[in-house]
Amino acid sequence: MAKYVLKRIGYMLVVLVILSFILFMIYSLVPANRAYTDAQTELKTLKNSIPKGQEQEYFDQIYLRYQRAYGTDTNNKIIRYLRWVGLYPLYDGSYDGLLQGNLGYSYDYKKPVVDVVAQPMVNTIKLNIYATILALGITIPLGIHCAVKRGTRFDQGIQVFTIIGYSLPTFLIAILFIWIFCSKLHIFPPSGMKTPGTNFTGFAKWKDEMYYMCLPLIVETFCSLGGMTRYVRASMIEALSMDCIKTARAKGLREKVVIYSHAWRNALIPIVTLVVGWFLGIFGGSIVIENIFGWNGMGRLMFQGLQVADYDVVMLMQMFYIAVSLIGTLVIDLIYGLVDPRVRVNK
Amino acid sequence: MSKKPGKKNASWIVRLFRGGSNTLADEMDAAKAADVEAIVSPVRQIVNNFLERKLAVGALILLICMFIFVFVGPLFMPKYKDAYTEVTQQSMAPNMRLMSVPKELKNDIKMIDSYGSFTVGLSNAGKVYIWGSTQLGTTGIDIGDIPEEVQNAKIAMVAAGIDHVVAIGEDGHIYCWGANTLGQYGTEAEAEASTKGVNPNIAYMPQELADEGVDVANVKKLTCGYQATAILMNDGSFYLWGNKLTYANMDRYLAMPTIEDIDFTLNYIVGLTAKRNAVYTGSRDLYTTVRANVGGTGVPINDFLDGRKIESITATNTSMCLLLDDGSVCFAGDFPLDATKVPELEEGEDFIQIVGGSYHYSGLTNKGHVYSWGSDALNQCQVPSSADSATELFSGSFQTYAKDANGDLCAKWGLKGYLFGTDTRGADIFQRIIAGGKMTMTVGAVAVIISTIIGIIIGCLAGYFGGKVDVLLMRVAEIFSAIPFLPFAMILSAVMSRMVLSETMRIFIIMCILGVLSWPGLARLVRGQILVVRESEYVVAAQSMGVKEATIAFKHILPNVMSVILVSLMLDFGTCMLTESSLSYLGFGVAYPRPTWGNMLNGANNATIINAYWWQWVFTSIFLAVTTVCINIVGDALRDVMDPKSSVEK
Repeated sequence: MAKYVLKRIGYMLVVLVILSFILFMIYSLVPANRAYTDAQTELKTLKNSIPKGQEQEYFDQIYLRYQRAYGTDTNNKIIRYLRWVGLYPLYDGSYDGLLQGNLGYSYDYKKPVVDVVAQPMVNTIKLNIYATILALGITIPLGIHCAVKRGTRFDQGIQVFTIIGYSLPTFLIAILFIWIFCSKLHIFPPSGMKTPGTNFTGFAKWKDEMYYMCLPLIVETFCSLGGMTRYVRASMIEALSMDCIKTARAKGLREKVVIYSHAWRNALIPIVTLVVGWFLGIFGGSIVIENIFGWNGMGRLMFQGLQVADYDVVMLMQMFYIAVSLIGTLVIDLIYGLVDPRVRVNK
Repeated sequence: MSKKPGKKNASWIVRLFRGGSNTLADEMDAAKAADVEAIVSPVRQIVNNFLERKLAVGALILLICMFIFVFVGPLFMPKYKDAYTEVTQQSMAPNMRLMSVPKELKNDIKMIDSYGSFTVGLSNAGKVYIWGSTQLGTTGIDIGDIPEEVQNAKIAMVAAGIDHVVAIGEDGHIYCWGANTLGQYGTEAEAEASTKGVNPNIAYMPQELADEGVDVANVKKLTCGYQATAILMNDGSFYLWGNKLTYANMDRYLAMPTIEDIDFTLNYIVGLTAKRNAVYTGSRDLYTTVRANVGGTGVPINDFLDGRKIESITATNTSMCLLLDDGSVCFAGDFPLDATKVPELEEGEDFIQIVGGSYHYSGLTNKGHVYSWGSDALNQCQVPSSADSATELFSGSFQTYAKDANGDLCAKWGLKGYLFGTDTRGADIFQRIIAGGKMTMTVGAVAVIISTIIGIIIGCLAGYFGGKVDVLLMRVAEIFSAIPFLPFAMILSAVMSRMVLSETMRIFIIMCILGVLSWPGLARLVRGQILVVRESEYVVAAQSMGVKEATIAFKHILPNVMSVILVSLMLDFGTCMLTESSLSYLGFGVAYPRPTWGNMLNGANNATIINAYWWQWVFTSIFLAVTTVCINIVGDALRDVMDPKSSVEK
């Protein structure tokens, strides 16, 4: 088992390195030159102290200094990549890359990327935990009920409803809910994270936050209902058609016991993996929902970073997303082995 | 379900009276026939099973209709342009009654005028009628609510601006209503008294006009511009007020004592100088060349006139038509490239009246013929034959109305309205939905074809050859599926937007991004299926007969996994469409002016617009939602009917 986990982690690292390389290469396609712009700004501040006619000379010096500081004094992209990771020395011989803990600098916020990401991460997790709990709380009972009452009007209705639910794009559902709850019913605020101009503390703050969180929460939950319900229903149907259920029924067990004790346990295996995947997914915010509702989370940060070309932020977030998704697959595989004794993971 | 017991009871009654044997035998035969199904081919079986699902069949029909709608639709709108914008038609609600003259007015027309979204008409009895799209944006003003005092008064003249109406009563009193936030009406004293205060960018309505009114008998012309109004008297003096920011040369006009004729283009007030040989705009070199016909070469105005005088001036948004004293016409200003030309008139035939809308002119000749020319983008130039009995024409915005000798409306032509309203740029949403649907579906289809081809090839290779090839390819697939989809597509798109690429190239790359990022799912599916099929007997038989490997892979195995591929093709098509819409909605996909269903919803991102301009998102959303829901329903049904296992379960 330990050997298997180690092997998987090793493989994960390889994938991470490959993807980081691909990402870096994609970014290096962008015709942006940070050293150049920074050098020009500095030149402007020095304008008066430079003798006339020597601007170009001074500029070249400053430019070279910046290039060396950023590690862009070479056109070799491989070297640049290695410098970014921290495996190749900069001009002055020091190492300053991801491995040395330099995760980048946000040019939009003028502070290190780690500080920029911290608050949105908290916000996103806050929103997603509630959404996940709500969604699971609704979909699992609903899915079981539909599977047990398969073919009835109720089931058919839910089937159509869930198809519609997962066919609609998120932004459409968001627009629809804003229209219903904000424009028509005036129940919830259309966007934002707290009432402007207020400075609540304690319970009042929490209440205000929840009030603003409601609509994004509803939309996020609603969007995940469709797919999740269908998944639970399908695995429950599969479980119900197993021979052991027939046996259980033949033994004369009560239907409740059959469903919740025998069938549900078997259906749980695929569901558990999904749930685990979901809980890992709470770190990555929904780009669409956070943008529409002005929720200052990871998705919105990413969107804004892309718009203003703040690529250090975007790059780090992208790497983070990839890492989360890779860890997710590993955890799911391991959990699969834990919940289903028939599956041997170390094969 | 509930009918069955009743039927059984009925047959028991029949048996009671008619004896059981006959009916029993019949029933048993029928039951037997139902039990034994005719043997049909698998394809036939699938089709039969599919047809049994009413919901899926309905969805399929709807989907086909949608396809025809977006792919055949563009053939019926040759005048459609992606980048079309129209400032006077912005954010108009769905309305097909822009040209519906009220019944009471039809036989009693005195005059008709319009500027933007609505038209105002005046009957000989002095009653004012308003039709068209009368709700003014988010202001909450309904210009169709004619003030009480106007309804009671006898009106002599009316004119319409973009969001206000000016009427002159028989007693000379001036009535105005509509929006007045930018000086459309109201005197300076009124503005001072109100909460808004005096705005230096507004030329207010003259106080004496509000107090004493105007001498109606001497009014030569009443005309409205975008947010401005002019009253021209017979002696050449004139009143002018409105928004100075729209008409930059208003101050120059206000300083002038008299003018021969006056009209408004979209950005300038144009007038006729006292000598009647030049267009006065207040700025040099503007409108100093004229051309004999639309699209002709420009000639300096003095050379062209050669002693002739200009009779009158008729302005549209970007150009003006000058009627000369010998009956000929000439033009100044700009015309769209596709503008239609003035027809060649017969010998001795001259224009006696010229009227102008927003981009078109209509002219009446002394022989009673009616012609329309200029922009035909909204069917303004489609003159019906019934117009030949016209004696007077009225035109405004995109419509022309013709009145015959009896004062009856004999013809009207031009823009009827917008079925789904217009967007914030003034383009017809209905047309954009058709064009956008074509783009959305094309992007989705190409992306899904790319992903399917990659998926099939990699899946087949991995599944059939197994071993190291399998491990390698599946690792690659894992790498691709570890990439979070939407963020990555956004990054690529953002990177692309900073490179110099043509729009078509960009769209093609977006298709490729979608395709290349979404193949791993299908590849795994195909691989799994092939792993199962590879061990089956007929493949072993083929192998032992010495059939080539490639032939086995593509001729023996592939057809057996075709059903899986088809279903995934269908479902992936829906997914790709959704992803494209989300990307475009966020502004990282296909960019304006090319419409897609995603970027058409781009504007609907705050509560005010969502509520006030509901038509700008409702219709597009319905089309997008119906299409994706149908695709998923059909795809789901296909998966169920193609998988023999699931039909047993059913």
